[in-house]
Amino acid sequence: MIDISAFHEALGILFSSISAWGWIVPGLIIGLVFAAIPGISITMAMAIVLPMSLYMDFFPAMVFLTSVYTGAGFGGSVPAILMNIPGTPSSFATTFDGYAMSQKGEHNEALGYALFASTLCGIFGYVLLLLVLEPLADIVLRIGPVEMFAVAIWGMMLLGSLGSTYISRGLLAAALGILLGTVGMNTAGFTRGTLGVPELLDGIAPIPAMIGLLAASQLLSLAGRDYIIEAEGAREVSLRRILKGCWGTLKYPGVLLRGSIIGVVIGAVPGVGSSISNLISYAETKRTAKDSATFGKGNPKGVIAAESAVASGEGGSMATMLALGIPGGGATAILIAAFMMHNVVPGPSFIDTQKPMAYAIILNNMVQAVVLLVVGIGFIYAATNVMKVRTRYVLPAILVVATLGTYAVTGEAAGPITLFVFAMLGFALNRYEYPVPAVVVGILLGRMLETEFLRSYQLSAGNPLYVLERPGAMAIFAVMFISLAMTAWGKRKQNKAEAAEAALLRLRHDADAHAHTTPSKG
Amino acid sequence: MTDFTRRDAFKISAGGLAAVSGMVAMPSILRAASYPTRPINVIVPFATGGYNDRLSRAFMPYLEKELGQPLVIVNKPGAGTQLGNSYALNQPADGYSIMCTSAAPYIPLTVLLQNAPYKVEDFSMLNLPSRDYTLAATSSDGPVKTFAEVIEKLKKDPSSLSIGVQPASADYANMVLAFQAAEIDPSKLRIVTYDGGGPARNATAGAQVDVGFVGGEGFLPLKTKIRPLAIFAAETVEWYPDAPLIGASGLKTDFVEGSQRGWAITTKLRNEQPEIYKTLVTAVEKASKNPKAIETLKLQELATTWYGPEASDKAYLDNAAKMAKYVNLLK
Repeated sequence: MIDISAFHEALGILFSSISAWGWIVPGLIIGLVFAAIPGISITMAMAIVLPMSLYMDFFPAMVFLTSVYTGAGFGGSVPAILMNIPGTPSSFATTFDGYAMSQKGEHNEALGYALFASTLCGIFGYVLLLLVLEPLADIVLRIGPVEMFAVAIWGMMLLGSLGSTYISRGLLAAALGILLGTVGMNTAGFTRGTLGVPELLDGIAPIPAMIGLLAASQLLSLAGRDYIIEAEGAREVSLRRILKGCWGTLKYPGVLLRGSIIGVVIGAVPGVGSSISNLISYAETKRTAKDSATFGKGNPKGVIAAESAVASGEGGSMATMLALGIPGGGATAILIAAFMMHNVVPGPSFIDTQKPMAYAIILNNMVQAVVLLVVGIGFIYAATNVMKVRTRYVLPAILVVATLGTYAVTGEAAGPITLFVFAMLGFALNRYEYPVPAVVVGILLGRMLETEFLRSYQLSAGNPLYVLERPGAMAIFAVMFISLAMTAWGKRKQNKAEAAEAALLRLRHDADAHAHTTPSKG
Repeated sequence: MTDFTRRDAFKISAGGLAAVSGMVAMPSILRAASYPTRPINVIVPFATGGYNDRLSRAFMPYLEKELGQPLVIVNKPGAGTQLGNSYALNQPADGYSIMCTSAAPYIPLTVLLQNAPYKVEDFSMLNLPSRDYTLAATSSDGPVKTFAEVIEKLKKDPSSLSIGVQPASADYANMVLAFQAAEIDPSKLRIVTYDGGGPARNATAGAQVDVGFVGGEGFLPLKTKIRPLAIFAAETVEWYPDAPLIGASGLKTDFVEGSQRGWAITTKLRNEQPEIYKTLVTAVEKASKNPKAIETLKLQELATTWYGPEASDKAYLDNAAKMAKYVNLLK
């Protein structure tokens, strides 16, 4: 629980270093812009600014880097909503309903929903972190391969909610994605499918592959239009409607809470991150929603579910980093490096000796979430103007920027080549009506599925009863099956009700017809 | 000024070209005399934030001072350093590309297991200050207390304890060697593989596996969460004095040293540009002995010990030879 005297000292640090606050806005803007560029992930955005932070003092450097983190968490959803191209893998699930909303001319609202969900759940994640910093860290270490495998399976269940005309093609596409995700050297040291190319030893780079698959098909489908949104009246940029979306978020506290909890827990687990939690949060929200049929067609709950998991994941990931000194994901690995470069080693001893500093960092992150609201509104106001530009100018620009993005960070041609190959694949898949998102889910989850299954197998020496020794894994599987069963039950009841209603209607219709016909008879 | 014809322009540019090509053709020794005249790239074949990245960035200001030119860190991660190593070998041997890397065991492993298109001898060490050793450890609240206990339990039943390790690593070789010395059949063990030291350490600290065999240095931040059982080193390790040596467990086993990290160049550069090589060695030596550098790096848990090129090269080649000897254990 919270240490009151350390908390007071933390407030002291916070208010005595007002100058550090100046780094919040530049950090947020850098994060927003980099993450909005397809091909640059949150981790990359932070890696780019890491050397800059070397020349700052410790606290301002932390403020700056975590601001980039906060900004990047939201930035990716802007192209996801406006153009159906996620800026980072974390905002993949945002495209499902976000883009559908923007096609209906509700892009202002969609961005508002996403932004406010980000702000609220970002704060929520950090409040939770403040309260349960140490216990959470201990739980995280106890999560083993079986539990992780259960989480990966849960993520795969999203496939059921993607919806496709042909079930067989959907499954085939997912299988292809998983196979692609397992290319390279696996955790046991075996190499598969690299075709002798050393660049593939670490697997297919997921970001250029994802951008290639999604952007290519999307850009080609947009190329036939003059503007991203056909209707001229719908292309407006309206502050009022953005704020309306923000306000509307508050109508879904359940979605926010569920997304936040999924985000915090999955964000805290080392090796998994918001690129998976947004999928799980979306799938769960859709499955439990009464109006699940409208998901994917522009239901604001879909946007909120995805964004809340991404934003709260930051807090979870920071918990693991601060309390254990181990990175929850790529972004916190960069933060740890920044700590070390300032002669501070995060971990149990850091929490013991410098608790006020840890609290100050957490508190500052809450401030950042609030500032994000203001900076974010400005950013989306500017970004939404892309709707007013003809596609013939926008599309080549996006293609160039995405290609550069995949090239710039590593300076290797491997990124653009992957992008190109997967763009071709995406085009072919689209042409023959295979669902591209299923392939993306497979690529994002394939490696994790395989790695954790293999480790579970090694650990249990092949004995499936081992799962009984892992209460955590059993709990995850139980929740999963209960939620599945409830959905099935709900669906059945709904179908029955609909059938009854239909029967009733038919009856009435018949009766009416009868009533109409009787007089004529008489 | 208007009588400046196209022909004149041609003449001038031709003259310029001749001058440039003259410079290029100049004996390399002459160019070396003024080395370095421009920024030097430091190739780090790992991602931003890893040990070598932090080492290069922390050491950079002190090395810059000695060389009189700025350094630029170039991260080329991937394929267990193979991509970065190939990149370094493709650079001209002019002294403007040096490396900061975990030379051993990564370079030998890429050669032995990935058929990398270069030889171990293509790289020459300037100084390898960081020496890591395999540590066998268990979670701090785990039931096992000593390494002898591990051996005893596994002898009775090889599947009684689960083992966490990174495949194709020095740690893996050490684990197999130790169990072979204890006459335990490694094929019956419950070995859980991790693709990196970090995940293997987390699994050990969180009691996911009963015993982990991982590079010890990375355990330092998690020190309170683990119990060291045996460290695979000949003498007490300076940065982890409470870790019992493998020799103390009563087991007579050969072992491979863990990661050796630090500064390296291509052998081509050393042979073709002896002057530049000498400049680099002197600069790294002076910077490594700079008391301020030692103090700063120590705070970040980074090593600055000066072993020199001969000792570093020997340690690197010894490691490579041992890796080659035990390569069958790794496959």
